[in-house]
Amino acid sequence: MATTPMTVPETHRRERPEWIDNLAGQLLAVVIALIIALLLGSLIILGYGESPRVVYGAIFHYGFGTRDGFGYVLTEATPLIFSALAVAVCFKGGMFNIGVEGQYLVGMVTASWAALKLDFLPGPLLMWAAIAFGILGGIVWALVPAILKVRTGAHEVVTTIMMNGIAVSLVAWAINGPLKYTQQAGFHTPNLRTDAFRANARIPDLGHVFGIGLSVHLSWLLIGALITAVAVWFILKRTRLGYEARAVGSSPGSARAGGISIGNVQIKLFVISGALAGLVGMQQLLGDKNYLPIGYEAALGFTGIAVAFLGQNSAVGIVAAAILWGVLARGETAVQIETTVPPEFVIILEGILIISVVVTYQLAKRRLLGRQLQRAADVENLEDSAAAADIEGLAKEDR
Amino acid sequence: MSAPPLVVMTGITKRFPGVVANDDVSLELRAGEVHALVGENGAGKSTLMRVLYGMYPHDAGTIEVRGEAVKIHSPRDAIGLGIGMVHQHFVLVDPFTVAENVILGREGSALIDEEDAARKVQDLANTYGFQIDPTAKVEDLSVGEEQRVEILKALYRGVDVLILDEPTAVLTPTETKSLFANLRALRDSGKTIVFISHKLEEVLDIADRITVLRRGKVVGETTPAGTTKAQLAEMMVGRPILFRLEKPVVEPGEPVLVLDDVHAGRLHGLDLVVRAGEIVGVAGVEGNGQRDLSDAIMGLRHVDSGSIVLEGREITGMDTESIRQSGTGFVPEDRHDQGLVLDMSLWENSILGRQDDAEFSGRAGVMLIGKIKRSAERLVRAYDVRARNVDTVARTLSGGNQQKLILARELEGNPKLLLAAQPTRGLDVGAIEFVWRQILEQKAEGRAVLLISAELDEIYSLADRIVTLFEGKITGEYPPDAPPEEVGRGMLGDIRTEAS
Repeated sequence: MATTPMTVPETHRRERPEWIDNLAGQLLAVVIALIIALLLGSLIILGYGESPRVVYGAIFHYGFGTRDGFGYVLTEATPLIFSALAVAVCFKGGMFNIGVEGQYLVGMVTASWAALKLDFLPGPLLMWAAIAFGILGGIVWALVPAILKVRTGAHEVVTTIMMNGIAVSLVAWAINGPLKYTQQAGFHTPNLRTDAFRANARIPDLGHVFGIGLSVHLSWLLIGALITAVAVWFILKRTRLGYEARAVGSSPGSARAGGISIGNVQIKLFVISGALAGLVGMQQLLGDKNYLPIGYEAALGFTGIAVAFLGQNSAVGIVAAAILWGVLARGETAVQIETTVPPEFVIILEGILIISVVVTYQLAKRRLLGRQLQRAADVENLEDSAAAADIEGLAKEDR
Repeated sequence: MSAPPLVVMTGITKRFPGVVANDDVSLELRAGEVHALVGENGAGKSTLMRVLYGMYPHDAGTIEVRGEAVKIHSPRDAIGLGIGMVHQHFVLVDPFTVAENVILGREGSALIDEEDAARKVQDLANTYGFQIDPTAKVEDLSVGEEQRVEILKALYRGVDVLILDEPTAVLTPTETKSLFANLRALRDSGKTIVFISHKLEEVLDIADRITVLRRGKVVGETTPAGTTKAQLAEMMVGRPILFRLEKPVVEPGEPVLVLDDVHAGRLHGLDLVVRAGEIVGVAGVEGNGQRDLSDAIMGLRHVDSGSIVLEGREITGMDTESIRQSGTGFVPEDRHDQGLVLDMSLWENSILGRQDDAEFSGRAGVMLIGKIKRSAERLVRAYDVRARNVDTVARTLSGGNQQKLILARELEGNPKLLLAAQPTRGLDVGAIEFVWRQILEQKAEGRAVLLISAELDEIYSLADRIVTLFEGKITGEYPPDAPPEEVGRGMLGDIRTEAS
């Protein structure tokens, strides 16, 4: 009878663990998407009368052909890792933080303030202070939409977009106000930037260790980004907060019924996301320029959304996707210098890649789910309403 | 018996990824019969009829209608052949009138003559003895009336074969009776009814012929005269099933849960007491405050006024975590929405609600995954959750196994109160028996059980005391041997003056 406990049939049969299947499936999906994007891109290249081999060859060579080239790729990837992680943390909790853009701009302002006003701090303390203030700025900017969401239900997509707008103005105000350039103001060309920071605010160079030129500005922040990626993975996969976040993101009703305070989790996630966002601008600020310029429109926050998506919000995936994005960014230069194809081609290529990935991930997911259901059915030896409903849903999508 | 069959399905096979939903199924429908398709959830009843209705393409097999081989690619094709289907979930436009809904898609001309439509629909209703006001708005109708509109919609399109997918799942006993009267009238006028159900008593009551499906295959064909409920159940499940479980005799103890004049959402002054060692069954038609009742007790919704006391301690307004920690196990009515995180693994789901336990979550909030997995493996074994391993994603389990996992988790903390809402909804007969045994076991161990169910059968099988819920109030209290008609009246708001 059903009540007598029986042994689970073949629980420990040796099989490939599911995560390997999942990883392989996702990897395959990305590779196929990349091939599709390259093929479609070839059509455009041919339209310009160039050879795809030459154009892609140039992109590849600029990215991987030289030490400096790869250094550039990593330098480009560094802020993108932070920004994609910031997006992913919120996403795991079922929230869409479009405000990474604004959060990192504010982080740049607060970090600049610290670097300029706390310049009495000795040695690397100034650098750490600037970074800490950058994080703080990101957190403060993220807390506003977080609190609005939890207290009033205001949707974070709307509020974070608004906060982005305010952040842009805040940068302009800071540069024209409290952080104004003091050395000398040209008559006709006012210098729209802050003063240069003291040298001890700089993040030390990492590139020269590997024989990469100083002008590449590959800093130790890359190592920081990689450590952060591991930390984010750990938080999401191994801690109670991560568990609660994934439950809230995947099934808020069940999470609530399980006694999880949704608002509490959401605020914590936004704080982490904001802190990560606060680090996005540090490469530019403390690793490269050493001052805060105006009109800073790298849109690293928005690019982070694309990178997070490409990396499927997993820490490993994000690092890989950020590097891929770095290669493409570097490719713009390659295309411009080596070919007659306009550099915007690379942006189109990025777009095609994202769209292809959307499709291939979806297909991969469906296949994987189908396989899991098959296995579950094998074990249970009977199909059922829940699984059948899901399959029927898929069957409908298929048509 | 001699009339040529109206519809013949031969060797129908329909595969979904991972599942063969119909495996070489053959079925004959005759004119003027009520043909019941019975089987457990997932046996392939609905799939077979969706194939006939053109919703799914089939992988193998043929369909003949009135002696001619046909290909049915869409519901439109099916209706053209005189085959109509009423789904479990109605597809009506709420702000439209009955008549407008019935003619929708068949308006005829660009200008709609409302009066003409209403008259036509009224005529149609009169023909088959349907009681309905064609000018009423659908949003004002009861569930039973909405169902009548759906049936009229099909009849208006001139169907000869009417497929009804679990039509009584949403009805009260009285509404079921009037549906059956309608169906008999339709049959007597020569229509063919396909009645999909897993409720055996109803099938024996209404059907002329019965086809039983199990795991996608036809396992038998019979008539009500030629079988019994027990035989049918055995055909469906493949083993004998006990319908009445022995209720353990327990002397009820102190009150564990006391609700006093609770106002919350649809609850308007609800009073209720559940004592230790008793099962109180809340019977009622869905939508009368069942969800608000369970949500209010679990702290999942705001309580406007009144008090909820658990073991002498006021829990009104407390958060869900604290209510759980003070000894409540919760089996929610919607296990996908409130019970499980479907995309998480079994081990992760096995601690939902207990994620704060020191047993599972170590210093600095790092989860002790090894311990959690071991505990999950133990639960999975003890409650016979059939899964490959505890890393399996909850979504891939069957409803019965999902429910077992929830029970395992909720009973693990030895709750003082078990709140079980629609605990067997969508489960097959075997799983229902398991869940019922577990609930009776709780009572035997002296726990208080509040059972909220829309299935009177379930209430009768388990409860020591039956109360009826209507429009947010308790409208009556009945002993477990009260006649169902009496309880049914309470479910419709007929307030009974308290006798006991």
